[in-house]
Amino acid sequence: MGKKRKHSETQTAEPRKKDEGAPERPKRTLMGWKDKDEVNQQTESSPDSPQVFRNKEKVMVTCSRRINYRYRHLMLNMVSLLPHCKKDNKVESRSSKGATLNELIELRGCSSALFFECRKHQDLYMWMARCPNGPSVKFLVNAVHTMEELKLTGNHLKGSRPLLTFSSNFEKDAHWKLLKEMIIQIFGTPKEHRKSKPYHDHVFVFSIVDDHIWFRNYQKSVPHNESDKMVRGLDKMTLVEVGPRFCLNPIKIFAGSFGGPTLYENPFYVSPNQIRALEKRKKAGKYAKKVKAKTRRKMHEQSNPLEPDEFADMWRE
Amino acid sequence: MGPRSKDLSLLQVENNVEDDADDVIDDASEEEESESEQEDVKLMEPSKTAIYNREGLVEKLEDISWPENVDWMHKLCLDIDQEKEVDVNDDLARELAFYTQALEGTRLAFDKFQSMGLPFLRPPDYYAEMVKTDAHMQKVKGKLLAQKRQIEEAEERRKAREAKRIAKEVQAEKLKERAKQKKQEIEEVKKWRKQRQQSGFKDGKDSMPDLGFEDGKAFERSSKKRPGVSPGDRSGGKAKQGGGKGNNKNKKNREFRDSKFGFGGKKGMKKQNTAETTNDFRAFNKGGAAGNKKRKR
Repeated sequence: MGKKRKHSETQTAEPRKKDEGAPERPKRTLMGWKDKDEVNQQTESSPDSPQVFRNKEKVMVTCSRRINYRYRHLMLNMVSLLPHCKKDNKVESRSSKGATLNELIELRGCSSALFFECRKHQDLYMWMARCPNGPSVKFLVNAVHTMEELKLTGNHLKGSRPLLTFSSNFEKDAHWKLLKEMIIQIFGTPKEHRKSKPYHDHVFVFSIVDDHIWFRNYQKSVPHNESDKMVRGLDKMTLVEVGPRFCLNPIKIFAGSFGGPTLYENPFYVSPNQIRALEKRKKAGKYAKKVKAKTRRKMHEQSNPLEPDEFADMWRE
Repeated sequence: MGPRSKDLSLLQVENNVEDDADDVIDDASEEEESESEQEDVKLMEPSKTAIYNREGLVEKLEDISWPENVDWMHKLCLDIDQEKEVDVNDDLARELAFYTQALEGTRLAFDKFQSMGLPFLRPPDYYAEMVKTDAHMQKVKGKLLAQKRQIEEAEERRKAREAKRIAKEVQAEKLKERAKQKKQEIEEVKKWRKQRQQSGFKDGKDSMPDLGFEDGKAFERSSKKRPGVSPGDRSGGKAKQGGGKGNNKNKKNREFRDSKFGFGGKKGMKKQNTAETTNDFRAFNKGGAAGNKKRKR
């Protein structure tokens, strides 16, 4: 059934013309027997065909079970920011994650996925993956502020296409370039999407500071009486922060979707478990250190005896 | 134990050494420890086992990227130059950097859109579903107003404190002035009397001190706006007023009772009638209770 839907969406003109002559042919070329061919054709044929490029990106957004309320709100915020996404139910994390997720993605007919995995009710990992055989990235998410915070006062149209801005650091290295490409494809709303709205009234900021990707979402606001005269309005444009804020720490990049050979590993990444263990170990050592320091002092005093004090007997009765 | 001990030696949380960021694998350079909000500690030296498959990355990049001739309108992405390094821990500078990046991007995009003749900003009368509900925006507005009110109140309180202080000072000044004036006048009168004494009470017009009586000024009422009320009076002038009518009545009663029953005597019998006083109606309200009692007053 899904295949039929895809057939109607792809707008290649030739098969339709062939329809009267050879009714079976078109089915074979478009609706291949194997899933791979069809998806490849979808991603390859549309840009290559003489027609216009159509961005048919669909993102599946899910989370794991036992997710924190804060992170669930973040996920819901992402769903409202990306009109080309499909929200799915929570996935069990115990079973083999990669295969299940890949199946889910294909089932819903999406081409990418954002998977929020929460561990120990404390740490949030975000996976960005391209479905069929594309690369996938695992991030550690920090510094989460959701849209519901009252200090973030901006508002924008739901589904309007965002303007994506990247800092120039993204061109410095291969893995940053790959991440930039994935971000553009996942976070950019396709043009002429059904749920997209016309104007461009918000900006996404992705910038690399300290090897982390920081995300901000601003609304462009112009004072109302000036908005007719566009140019003058631009001088007074202010940006009000709208949307969620988070900071991504890339951990690994895999060649396949949710698995496969590792292409990149962040050498400076320390897992939050290790950090917590380190803290505990530091605290645990306090008493032992104190005892050791005491014995050391005693030994030192014994080995270097003080000279007898001349004034010691002065006040003795 | 092996790998764990290695980690311990690498993760030295207290040291701060210079950062040499870009070259990822080969450098054994040591890192500046950085902490984001959730205490994210970086390794001192980059882990030796980190994989970096540049060719693989480039290959994948080519796999997934859209073809070259795709219109900019599809991507809507902009690269903004970041001039200087921002310190992660300095919140204000970091947010400022993000803000300027966004603003730059908007300006560039606006120019592009203008050249293409496409609408850019949302016109003010376009109503559609927004990403935050109206109820939520009401809450935001409430909070902003509350903040503004708090600031204003704090300002007012501060100003009131200042004004009070200044008023106190001015008042002290005035009192001093007045005291000085009084002293001066007394001195003058004394001097005049002494003069008169010395010159033997001659009563000549010249010896009269110039007290200002003959100036032609009529007797002016004092400029005090509230006569009878001293300036230091904190009751607002109402302390002396009031109860004039009631007082008289009570006094009469009181005086009569005192005269009738006297002071002291046996406890408890003070205000009770004796044989002689039973028909004594002097203390009662004359004619006040006339009329039908049943009529409501």
